[in-house]
Amino acid sequence: MRLFHDWYVAVLINEDGVEVDRLRWAGGGGVHGAVERLERVAQARLTQEAAQLLERFPEASVEPVGEGELPELTPEDLTYLDRAAVRLAERGVAEAAGDLDRRLEHLHRAMEEVRQASNVRLSRLVEWLGLFLPDLDLDQDRMGTARALGDADDLGSLARQLGLQTPMHLPARSEWRSLRDHGAAAVEVQARLDRLEAALRTLAEEHLPSLSALVGPMLAARLCVGAGGRARLAKLPSSTVQVLGAEKAFFAHLKTGSPPPKHGFLFTHPWVMRSPQWVRGKVARTLAGRCSIAARLDAYEGTPMTAADVAEVETKVLAIRAAHPRPPSRKGGR
Amino acid sequence: MGRGSAKPPGRPLSDAVRMDGSGPWTWSANPGQSVYNETIRKGKHGEWRRWDPRRSKVASGLLRTTGAPERLLPSPGEHVLYLGAGHGTTVSHIHDVVCHDGAPGRVVAVDLSPRCLRDLTRLSRARPGLVPVLGDARRPEGWRALLPRRATWVFQDVAQAHQASIFTSACERFLAPKGRGLLSLKVESDRGSDAGALRAKVERELAEADFALEEVINLEGFEDKHLLFVVGGPPSA
Repeated sequence: MRLFHDWYVAVLINEDGVEVDRLRWAGGGGVHGAVERLERVAQARLTQEAAQLLERFPEASVEPVGEGELPELTPEDLTYLDRAAVRLAERGVAEAAGDLDRRLEHLHRAMEEVRQASNVRLSRLVEWLGLFLPDLDLDQDRMGTARALGDADDLGSLARQLGLQTPMHLPARSEWRSLRDHGAAAVEVQARLDRLEAALRTLAEEHLPSLSALVGPMLAARLCVGAGGRARLAKLPSSTVQVLGAEKAFFAHLKTGSPPPKHGFLFTHPWVMRSPQWVRGKVARTLAGRCSIAARLDAYEGTPMTAADVAEVETKVLAIRAAHPRPPSRKGGR
Repeated sequence: MGRGSAKPPGRPLSDAVRMDGSGPWTWSANPGQSVYNETIRKGKHGEWRRWDPRRSKVASGLLRTTGAPERLLPSPGEHVLYLGAGHGTTVSHIHDVVCHDGAPGRVVAVDLSPRCLRDLTRLSRARPGLVPVLGDARRPEGWRALLPRRATWVFQDVAQAHQASIFTSACERFLAPKGRGLLSLKVESDRGSDAGALRAKVERELAEADFALEEVINLEGFEDKHLLFVVGGPPSA
């Protein structure tokens, strides 16, 4: 005895290929009912009708959907099917917002864009203002300068406030207003950037607790987005994690034989960046290995890394540095 | 855009499709609405939509094929399967064809990306017979119930590794005996092989699965590094 079933019907067929029993969905529950049935079928679970038939004939074997065993869909069934498909698709689209990878990506890219906008704005601002104020220090506390500018009434009072010489040329009224607006906007963009960073930190610590503990939430987010999601990051070999973000140098290496990159995004981590140049590659390799472990803990929901685990990695990094106090000798090399 | 003109474009391929020098046109199943800002030409009781061969691999295949172009398309009223439906550019034209003049055709349009499904779902509201499916071409269990009948036409454009084996298993399972399968193969999605080697490999895979390969169309010029494989339905189903 074999049981064939699909979302709208269940059919019982005996050894001679004769239909013994059949239960058909009568349209109960309307589109909602069809949606619920289609979901069951997609998850390889039994529909109500199939379960009922199986209860009547417990010895029947449940078969995968074949061809020809099941009756054709009626036009009404087909209408329900089409409407249910749209519902399912809409639900799937709505569920995409539950995917933290996607949210992290938008947040991260938005942050990068705003950071870039903020930098461009600030550098334009200090150059512009510096034209009028020749003794303004263009590199010191640019944000403070922007803030003072945004609050100033005119250029003369700004110069006094910053302890600078009175400007030789003054901007026209409308020009001054535009300059000041630019300062206020720079301050506003900075505030926006701070909020974005705070939000990214929170999300990264939730989505990538171990990796965030190891390399900080910002770098963790960057690695995750660079790899194309948490699951993919977890599946990457750590040699790839080591050079994520250095794709250009890496593929140039494959093509032209230039030296391979030692680090990508990981360079921004102080353990790498603050190491002497000749151990950075070794440190990056170690760190990449631990990043892979952390990403796997996060992706497969293991026990997150603790501060003690991170301290252990740091000990190892320090040991690498201590083992190579001097740059390698060039003698005997190429 | 739509400069009114009563004369239909080019020569007819079928009731629903015409062809001029620059590419095919389809008779809109949802007149008054352009899908991707395509050129529209008004006809007597509806309109023709220009099918841009630079944006659709099916359209460029129709231009490049050495055989009769109409054989690459389904007919009105048929059920067809489209794997890798994207934002619905090509899907909308296929829908024009199978739902021509109110025919009860169905296009089951599968894509993996929620972003694409958003556009497809919108499209499906104005186009009954277009069935949007959020699903993975490699895992038909999740959506096979939405295609209750074998399709007479299967198109696949998924730009993934193992494109050919996804295609053969989809055709074995879903393509009707006298149907036609079209596989758009993106050479770069198969790592480490050049066009010639990949083509040979896919041809071998299709032969092993007993599909009769009718033609391989090179889409160079419209879509670089893409090949369009045209096969007949499964041998005996």
